[in-house]
Amino acid sequence: MSGIVIGNTLRTSWKQILYWGLGLGALGLYIDFIASSPDIISGYAELFKTMPPAMLKAFGASDVALFTTSEGWIVSIFVSEAAIFLSVFAVMAGLNITANDEQSGVMDVILSLPISRAAYILERWIGYALIGLAIILLTAAITVGGVVGMNIEAPSDVIFASILNLYPSMLLVMTVTSLLATVMRRRALAIGLSAAFVIVSYLFNAIGAAAGGAAADLMESLSYFSYVHGEAFVLGTYDPMNTVLVLVAVAIGFGLSLKMFVSRDIGI
Amino acid sequence: MASGSIIEIKGLSKTYGSGSKQTAALSNLDLSVNRGEIFGYLGPNGAGKTTTIRLLLDLIRPSQGDAKIFGMDVRADSVEVHRRIGFFPAELSLWEGRSGDQIIQYVASVRGDAKGIVKHAGELAERLDLDTTKRVRDLSSGNKRKLGLVIAMMHSPELLILDEPTGGLDPLVQQTFHTMMDEYRDKGKTVFLSSHVLSEVQAICDRVGILRDGELKAVESVEKITNVEFNWVDVNFRDAVPAGLQQKLENMPTITDVSANGARVRMRMIGDFDPLLRAISDGYVESLHIEEPTLEEIFLAYYSGDKETS
Repeated sequence: MSGIVIGNTLRTSWKQILYWGLGLGALGLYIDFIASSPDIISGYAELFKTMPPAMLKAFGASDVALFTTSEGWIVSIFVSEAAIFLSVFAVMAGLNITANDEQSGVMDVILSLPISRAAYILERWIGYALIGLAIILLTAAITVGGVVGMNIEAPSDVIFASILNLYPSMLLVMTVTSLLATVMRRRALAIGLSAAFVIVSYLFNAIGAAAGGAAADLMESLSYFSYVHGEAFVLGTYDPMNTVLVLVAVAIGFGLSLKMFVSRDIGI
Repeated sequence: MASGSIIEIKGLSKTYGSGSKQTAALSNLDLSVNRGEIFGYLGPNGAGKTTTIRLLLDLIRPSQGDAKIFGMDVRADSVEVHRRIGFFPAELSLWEGRSGDQIIQYVASVRGDAKGIVKHAGELAERLDLDTTKRVRDLSSGNKRKLGLVIAMMHSPELLILDEPTGGLDPLVQQTFHTMMDEYRDKGKTVFLSSHVLSEVQAICDRVGILRDGELKAVESVEKITNVEFNWVDVNFRDAVPAGLQQKLENMPTITDVSANGARVRMRMIGDFDPLLRAISDGYVESLHIEEPTLEEIFLAYYSGDKETS
């Protein structure tokens, strides 16, 4: 692995880091602004008390008490929304790993160069993983900067860690999309299936959390959204095993994706 | 590997689909290309030329058989093989939003020795009259193909694999390209060039392989193929075809398939034009149209015994 493809990926995609990071950072600042006003927070808390648990879950919290604190508000609202936006980025990044170049025909030129298919897909994956990380770090920096700048009484490290916790799930969606693209070989089909993966995950998380019983628990555990809840950092219940589980799924997904890409015909 | 062979293909087959939908794109291909020659790979569209090239580049995998380049397996040693070859695809696609210079720099980096390669790319671009500062999306299709040629040749590869390289290039650039190919041969390098344009192959190739329906029908020197060359000739008279001309033409040994229609007479002709010009001088000739035979016709002529008559 020479790192040339990683470097090229970063060089040609730095604008994505800027746009996505600034966009999500702006969302973070907006949430910060609301959190800076105790009156607004308490008003929302009253509103949330009247909501059914499923709807509350959709806002990223299992307990309405979370919304009475600034950090609970920021983490619950922002992390749930950012998780959805980052899923969109992850699908786009997953397609960029190989599918877009294969569809356009550029892959023929790339793979005629002295680089193995395995090294190429690995370097592309690492490149987009780094871009995703940079976006999340920029987002976290802006959001935490807002907390400090607006003198919000909230622990910066908790907010930063909860945003950083979005990274494994972003990698998962990116890897699943890349895998679907290498298996299906049709970009449109890969987009459709990846979108379905995100939507079904979201619904499983919301329904599973709201309903009780073994089936609901299973549904929730199958959703990657259930592994990115920010409230665990606020409540101090964060379990590193959840992150490890997601990363194991990422490793398996990437391994399958690599195997498919290396063994099958390109193009056509 | 046969002595001096750069490309050695044995029993190579490729089928697509499965069951009743299975189609053979290439059947049991045996072929060797020698060091220092320009080998023309001829065939009509859909004959299997691009399939062969994609197999050689390990872009697709064979259903049967194997191929070696420089004595190395094209799949197991693909990285080392690709280091020593240059490739121009028939359906060339490049990064639309990037400039020629950026693409050259990137490809050169992957190939290593970026500085030397980029310098040579500049020389090639100058010869082909290509502005590499423009983004690909702003280039005409002809200029995109020039950029593709620069990318294929900029590292001075030992073997060039070119799939229909001159389509869309203007005649002057085609001439420059032909000169470049001659220079390649002079340096002892090898070119594997697919085409469906006979005149191009005749101009630059040493040997040709003729492919039809996924099967290699013949491998011959260009000279031999040229010997069976004939032309279709249409003669348009101002008035009717002169009386007795059709019979006269049919009796000429170098002319066959004569047909007259109103003021027009069409025939297949081999050899010199002089006997024909003398034969038609009785009438007032308005126009004379000479048509190159198609590959299929050349092929049929070659195998139907016209070789001897020529």
